[in-house]
Amino acid sequence: MNDNERAFIEIRGISKYFGDFAAVYKADLDIKKGELFSILGASGSGKTTLLRMMSGLEVPTEGKIFIDGIDMTNVPPYKRPVNIMFQNYALFPHMTVFDNIAYGLKKEGVAKDIIQEKVSKMLTLVKLPEYGKRKPNQLSGGESQRVALARSLIKEPKVLLLDEPLAALDKKLRQSTQFELIDIQEELGVTFVIVTHDQEEAMTLSDRIAVMEAGEFVQIGAPNLIYEHPKNKFVADFIGNINMFDATVIDSNEQDVSIHCEALGGDIVLHKPNHAYNIKEISVALRPEKVMIDKQQPTDENIDFVTGIVEDFGYFGNLSIYRVRTNNGQIIQVSKQNRIRSEHTITWADEVFLSWESDSLILLES
Amino acid sequence: MSGLLINLDNSFRDRLWKNTIVAIPYLWLLLFFLAPFLIVLKISLADPIVAQPPFTPLFQESENGSSSIFTTFDNYLYLFQDSLYFITYLSSVKLAFISTILALLIGYPIAYGIARSPQPTRNVLLLMVVIPFWISFLLRVYAWMGILKTKGLLNGFLLWIGIIDQPLELLYTDTAVYIGMIYSYLPFMILPLYANLEKLDVRLLEAASDLGAKRWEVFKDVTLPLSVPGIVAGCCLMFIPAIGEYVIPALLGGADTLMIGRVLFDEFFLNRDWPVASAVAIVLVLLLVLPIVYFQKRQNQELLSES
Repeated sequence: MNDNERAFIEIRGISKYFGDFAAVYKADLDIKKGELFSILGASGSGKTTLLRMMSGLEVPTEGKIFIDGIDMTNVPPYKRPVNIMFQNYALFPHMTVFDNIAYGLKKEGVAKDIIQEKVSKMLTLVKLPEYGKRKPNQLSGGESQRVALARSLIKEPKVLLLDEPLAALDKKLRQSTQFELIDIQEELGVTFVIVTHDQEEAMTLSDRIAVMEAGEFVQIGAPNLIYEHPKNKFVADFIGNINMFDATVIDSNEQDVSIHCEALGGDIVLHKPNHAYNIKEISVALRPEKVMIDKQQPTDENIDFVTGIVEDFGYFGNLSIYRVRTNNGQIIQVSKQNRIRSEHTITWADEVFLSWESDSLILLES
Repeated sequence: MSGLLINLDNSFRDRLWKNTIVAIPYLWLLLFFLAPFLIVLKISLADPIVAQPPFTPLFQESENGSSSIFTTFDNYLYLFQDSLYFITYLSSVKLAFISTILALLIGYPIAYGIARSPQPTRNVLLLMVVIPFWISFLLRVYAWMGILKTKGLLNGFLLWIGIIDQPLELLYTDTAVYIGMIYSYLPFMILPLYANLEKLDVRLLEAASDLGAKRWEVFKDVTLPLSVPGIVAGCCLMFIPAIGEYVIPALLGGADTLMIGRVLFDEFFLNRDWPVASAVAIVLVLLLVLPIVYFQKRQNQELLSES
């Protein structure tokens, strides 16, 4: 996308107050056409309020929302080119599956035979072609989810808002449904905005993620960017597991940063930081899967390492997770792929060497 | 072996418990509904006599000492022959029906308003609906006589603000009966409606609105159909007692306000014709119970066909 082209959804300085409490505070956001965009946050972070403002169910206290270049800030929900798939689906219990899906078209005054055709097509798309005559109480969780999806897509909205779309499904079903959602999105080319508290769901579904905390965006970017280059401690901690240690900056310039970190065994030099660090107190973060664990001392002399004792050990089949207490008393979490069958040579109370590539370390100022 | 015996014993005890608990309401109904009903039924099949009690006994001893059962359908025939009763039933149904519909129209918005108001206000409003029950029903109907009479509060007020220049004839008319009925039974309409509307999932309304329904369409398509059970419950709770109501038509109605409750009272206490009065009561019960049984059956069939 060209930079001077307008974004499909533009959110400009939007705030929503409930009394004195700001659920959303001066949020800015650009979402591109056809994007699968996730808003990720804990409960109470303001993500659902933001979604409701996009759908028109909530009117912002200040700020503007543009969709496809048109100001939608005060347009009522029934006039927006936006539909929402509710958490727990909110299917009309007194209507059949067919009537649920047809509802949006009926309200538009579409002719009966066209409704019939479109609804059957939609039922086929969500793989429930024979379900038209059923009532919502006769559907399983996964089926309800598909009907809700069909109902929210029938009016061919420009934007589909999904509120915790997979939260009500069990784990196995969630994974298959995730990929189906992506397939449908690709087939229809609708812009999807997903609100979720589940970081895994956000990571696998989205092109880009916005992490939200206390009504504000903390970081917006592609899943791998957010995971590998979190902007601050909150994002680093919220997405995935991470080890975090205190450190002090000894020397810093555009090329190198040298820090002192007691937990990681003393002085460390990092190459090519993003910028020079002026502050002294800093945090160093390290993802568990980026730590190598071995009973032998690393042979490469340039690599940093610490020694420790395995205090806890969890076997997950595909990987094992170790909690290692280092010689200076710190706990470091390590995850290791079980690449070779019947290979758990490392177990409780073993003495181990932990090592890492120096560019795996993440420096966090706040 | 002994374990099995204990198991059997346990399951037997469980069943006994369950049956006892289920039996209590049945016993209650048997004692306080079926038994009186049978007594009334028995009286309705007797002839009136001047005696104590004022009707012929069911078992009559003939001169040769053998006893026989005496029943007569004369009372029921009489009900059908004298058009007064038919007209009275009809007018009772009409009065009860119209007041139920009016109470529904008044009660629904009130129930809706209470269900949609914030929690603390909601409790105050509910209390206000129930508070009239703290005063005797009879007193409240008497109070309406004071309000509705020619020189009463309402006429005084209307004359004072100048809407009318002659007092309205309200007391002892059907209008007064309607006012009294709606006033007295409105809480019975509001409470079940409130209980229903309060449970309504707001997200269903939002979903309808999101799919293009305007406010009144949301109401018509979602709120109204989902509140049908509340409407049915409220209407039953009002219609059934209203149809046999005696106090309100007796105090507020005119001589020409025909209601079955009054006929019943007159037959019992003025004519001392217990058998005819009993027949009137039996027909009223059948009139009310048969349609309910019919609807229940149909509902059950619908439920069966759905699952």
